[in-house]
Amino acid sequence: MMLRSLGFASALLIGGAVSAHAATWTIDAPKSHLGFTGSQSGTPFSGEFGKFSGTIVFDPANPTAGHADVTIAIASAKTGDQQKDGAMPGSDWFAADKFPTAEFKATSFKTTGQGAYEADGTLTIRGISKAVALPFTLTISGDRATAKGKVQLVRTDYGVGQGAWSSAQYVALDVTVTVDIVADKTAP
Amino acid sequence: MSAMGRGASPERYTAVAILLHWLIALGILALIVIGLMMTQLQATIGPMETFKLFQLHKSIGITVLLLAVIRILWRFTHKPPVLPADMPAVERGAAHGLHWLLYILMLGLPLTGWAVVSSSPFNLPTVLYSLIPWPDLPVLPHLANKAAVSHVLAWVHAYGAWILIGLLIIHFAAVFRHHIIKRDGILLRMMPSRRR
Repeated sequence: MMLRSLGFASALLIGGAVSAHAATWTIDAPKSHLGFTGSQSGTPFSGEFGKFSGTIVFDPANPTAGHADVTIAIASAKTGDQQKDGAMPGSDWFAADKFPTAEFKATSFKTTGQGAYEADGTLTIRGISKAVALPFTLTISGDRATAKGKVQLVRTDYGVGQGAWSSAQYVALDVTVTVDIVADKTAP
Repeated sequence: MSAMGRGASPERYTAVAILLHWLIALGILALIVIGLMMTQLQATIGPMETFKLFQLHKSIGITVLLLAVIRILWRFTHKPPVLPADMPAVERGAAHGLHWLLYILMLGLPLTGWAVVSSSPFNLPTVLYSLIPWPDLPVLPHLANKAAVSHVLAWVHAYGAWILIGLLIIHFAAVFRHHIIKRDGILLRMMPSRRR
């Protein structure tokens, strides 16, 4: 009886030690959503990036040591409106032929509350990199993690909207990016 | 049908010509109303509705262009009904001249409008009725001074529209004179046929 309890306690300890270790998580793209919301002449519109991938190294016990690298195929942005979808890859907007991918590289995480964190890193769109802090909530069940968050960006910080589109006259400069990521533990 | 000999001028326009005439008439009327709204009433109708009207104007404009091409091809291959025998030569000339000017504008206005869009510094794809992608004209999208070119083309398009409005007023006045004053039944040649 005594031995069994000891064994159980040590198993818990080891288990605790394992879970405290930074695990590697791989984004399950088909189950994840990476969306954006903008506004044209006061009328909101939204869309999603259909193709992206990434890995996250994260330990809830030691978030600052974590890091993440997410790559987004910029031409996969779709709003469902043919005119917008035809315009977005063009040189005025994402210039997808010159800059086929956008990238978010988080170099650190920090805890902001119960199950709430912030990913601090660099977002690169159209070859322009800016520091971005992405707040998100995290739920982990077994080998599956779900992170939800959103961040507001100014599109012209990244040169998205050139020429006639570089002012807010027709299309608002603020764009909200929503993140709903499902990731699987791929390394302990 | 067999009552009149081959090659003889019919009394009426063909059903196809009549259908095309009225479809194009409806299209042109819509284009003029929308065109005036989107350029003269922007402050009243707001930016988003103005944007939508521009898209609708493009869609209807290309539709009218395609219908006008068919109409003109049909006109070349199908004899229109003869004008009344007692019609003075001056009036015949005026009628023919006005009709050909209208045909020219039926092609010219959509073409200049298409050119305005193709050279627009907004670089927006054209999607007819939000459904059918439509290409830009060649060369124009790649000009270095698009904004200036587009501005001049828009000016030509607008003045062409005013000329068209003027010619249409003359067209309506002629219909009025023939139908109400002279009562020569010339309008009936272009009306959908009643069952005989």
